[in-house]
Amino acid sequence: MTEQKSAAVDTAEVKRMLDKHKAKMKMSLSLCAHCSLCAESCFLFNARNKDPKYMPSYKFINSIGKIYKKKGKVDKAMLEEISVNAWKRCVLCTRCYCPFGIDIPDMIALARSICRSQGVFPQYDE
Amino acid sequence: MHCCETGNALTMVAHMELSNLFTADFIYNLARGPLVWISILICIIGSIARTVQLLSYTRIKTIDPNIDFSSIRKKPPAAKGGGLPEPGLFAVLKGTILGVSPVTILVSLCFHICLIIIPFFLLAHNLLIDDAIGFSLFSFSERFSDFLTIIFLACAAFFLFRRIFLARMRAISTFYDYVVLFITVAPFLTGFLAYYQIFNYKIVIILHMLAGELMLVAIPFTKIFHMFFFFIGRFMIVNQHTMGKGSRTW
Repeated sequence: MTEQKSAAVDTAEVKRMLDKHKAKMKMSLSLCAHCSLCAESCFLFNARNKDPKYMPSYKFINSIGKIYKKKGKVDKAMLEEISVNAWKRCVLCTRCYCPFGIDIPDMIALARSICRSQGVFPQYDE
Repeated sequence: MHCCETGNALTMVAHMELSNLFTADFIYNLARGPLVWISILICIIGSIARTVQLLSYTRIKTIDPNIDFSSIRKKPPAAKGGGLPEPGLFAVLKGTILGVSPVTILVSLCFHICLIIIPFFLLAHNLLIDDAIGFSLFSFSERFSDFLTIIFLACAAFFLFRRIFLARMRAISTFYDYVVLFITVAPFLTGFLAYYQIFNYKIVIILHMLAGELMLVAIPFTKIFHMFFFFIGRFMIVNQHTMGKGSRTW
């Protein structure tokens, strides 16, 4: 997985994208009870020897959650780290199940959009 | 609070007043009286405000009148057993979280039921409520409340150990998660100790009242608000796993 190493991160643009989905994201992040009951609903979690890094909640807390915590002030290195959670560990199959009905795939998709807007995305053809 | 031996009379008086202010009796009366009402008010008003806030984030879903929904949703989706020939109970449960982690779900169910019913139907609470407002709900026998409290504390211990010892829980746990668990369990633990008069009763009962008030205040402003979000998120806001039809969307 490689990423484009171009200009610095446009934090204002990241903030704008965050604000557009702020309500849903804020509620989802603040009310996730960290119960880990979503784990088994992820086929990648099951396939990767139940590695916690593949748990849906881990992926959404460590992608969009991280960006939200920093209020959009992220750097390229962090976005690259996040892109691993948003692409490599999640295929957006939307099968994950949260007892509270938190829309995890939507959160991860938003993290992808933010990464992509800053030129951080996997390029498999290189 | 100890008074200074030295110093002029004025500072001594000031210190004495300060030390009087924080006697056990004073805190006891404060916690037993005004703080109860303040915390209940904060809990109710805060919960309503946060529910309104949450609903204001969502809007009513617009449905295309041309779509005939009667033909849809007659059959459960394949993942829920639709299309399979008459699945048995275990086959249906297999893919659900109840089927995957039955112990955690059952413990969670007991925990939450006890959490709600114990304080409302406890004899000692109802006597105080009856004293204050003239009527109260019926009460469980003290033995039964005791039994429920022990179940509750056991369930809480299960949650704590789960958070400490399971790798998947450690991966997402923060200090805040422990704080929330502590806020929830503290009133029950101190109440249990007070009932059996373990340690100094006066101090334990003060801690019990303060812990209960802290929990009431924490309900709207912490993760404990999931008690309301659960119903809104599962039944009202449309998502892939909505129960029922769902009338709102983000």
